[in-house]
Amino acid sequence: MRWLACELHAHTLHSDGKMTLMELASAAAKLGFECVALTDHNTMSGLADKEAAERRTGIAILPGMEWTTFHGHMVTVGLAEYVDWREANTRNIHEGVSAVHARGGAAGLAHPFRIGSPACTGCYWEYEVDDWNDFDYIEAWSGTFAPIKTDNARAFSLWTDKLNEGYRLAATSGRDWHDAAETDEPISVTYLRLEDESRPIGEEAIEALRRGRVSVTIGPLVTLEAETAGARYGIGDVVPVGERAATVRIGIDFSVRQGLWTLDDPACRIRLSGNKGVWEESAIRETEGTQEFRMSVETEGLLWMRAELWGIVRGVTTMIAFTNAIYFD
Amino acid sequence: MLIDIQANATPEDSRTHVRFPFKLNEPACAIGIHFEYSPKRLDDDSRARELLEQSFEQYVLPERLALAKERTDRYLPLQNLITLSVDDPDGYRGACHRHDPVQSLWISEHDASPGLMKGKIAAGEWTITLSLHAIVTERCAYRLQVWAADEEERGERP
Repeated sequence: MRWLACELHAHTLHSDGKMTLMELASAAAKLGFECVALTDHNTMSGLADKEAAERRTGIAILPGMEWTTFHGHMVTVGLAEYVDWREANTRNIHEGVSAVHARGGAAGLAHPFRIGSPACTGCYWEYEVDDWNDFDYIEAWSGTFAPIKTDNARAFSLWTDKLNEGYRLAATSGRDWHDAAETDEPISVTYLRLEDESRPIGEEAIEALRRGRVSVTIGPLVTLEAETAGARYGIGDVVPVGERAATVRIGIDFSVRQGLWTLDDPACRIRLSGNKGVWEESAIRETEGTQEFRMSVETEGLLWMRAELWGIVRGVTTMIAFTNAIYFD
Repeated sequence: MLIDIQANATPEDSRTHVRFPFKLNEPACAIGIHFEYSPKRLDDDSRARELLEQSFEQYVLPERLALAKERTDRYLPLQNLITLSVDDPDGYRGACHRHDPVQSLWISEHDASPGLMKGKIAAGEWTITLSLHAIVTERCAYRLQVWAADEEERGERP
């Protein structure tokens, strides 16, 4: 098992990006990523350079495409075959999602609350959704310094609302990366948990995304585990009915992507939250190595829980990281 | 020329696709495409602000409305956006989703403009689709020209 540092939303010259795939992969490697999804607008022609860029940079490139439609943008990854984005209308997005799934891909809402047309054409999600479980993920954090942005707060709330309603879907970050210019702003990383390292990274990454084995951060990697009398459960797993109490273990790994992020103030706080609200919050004093927190949780009435790391970044009190959910039947 | 059309789009055409099929009677070495539209920008400042105000009402939370209005300038100038995609007799050959209002494109067995996929230029029914994402000016004139070509003719419009 290991956590793979991914950038899940990026563009090249094949749409309106400013980079070649090689430049994109090199820039990603410099930022400590191990994997990038190529999600050009409405085309997959950039994949022609995939093997060469992977060989040269060591970055795993996930095939993908951003459906850049009139009523919403939908990121699709893990499929090398094209699905026609031009048939989408506000009523039939589930047909598109099914076609993406049939070809082995995962589908997520891209920046669902970014202002729409004509400022940013189709950027605001206007598709009717009948079943949120049909989507694999919501891109909750879009762009750089994502957690402080209002549009992202709305996307994050949408995700939380859906979890509270009993749906099970992942939340990710995606820079919507278009050019190689360096930025001072904190960069989000979506970590995907690979269970079977003997399988190709790309396949395992998509499996992780589908199953919600996901942790998102602008700094340290936060992990979450629940242990019951019967078994141990990781992020994305479902704790079966009948397990009444669990020991929850939160890990905060400050050693990831060393030198590529900073916190203004080491005084962070870790929170355990879920459909019953925030029920545990602890201060963190040490910000080296991996810090562990344990707590006991009664699972009665629990649908899901996640860990959140809060602290001060660039003078702003903000969420720094969040895990995806552990679910309860 | 396989296609040579000039037409106008209006704001009512926003969020629609316009399809231009053409027939290749025999396989070709390459297809050249020239596509342009004008104007790109909406220069009428008050009209642009009016359109943005409408979109704020639609997309911004009521409590953020005042702030969004203060920051209207960040979205200016408003622009028309038309993108082009290509289908050959067997399926999709890619799209050129970018803001350039003048695009000279090329697709052949060995080479293609970014966004399009190289490969055989087979005989049969092809389609160029123009996707009118946003037309913000009263009128937007566009021109589409498509022709079959030899490899060495790249970039030359007949």
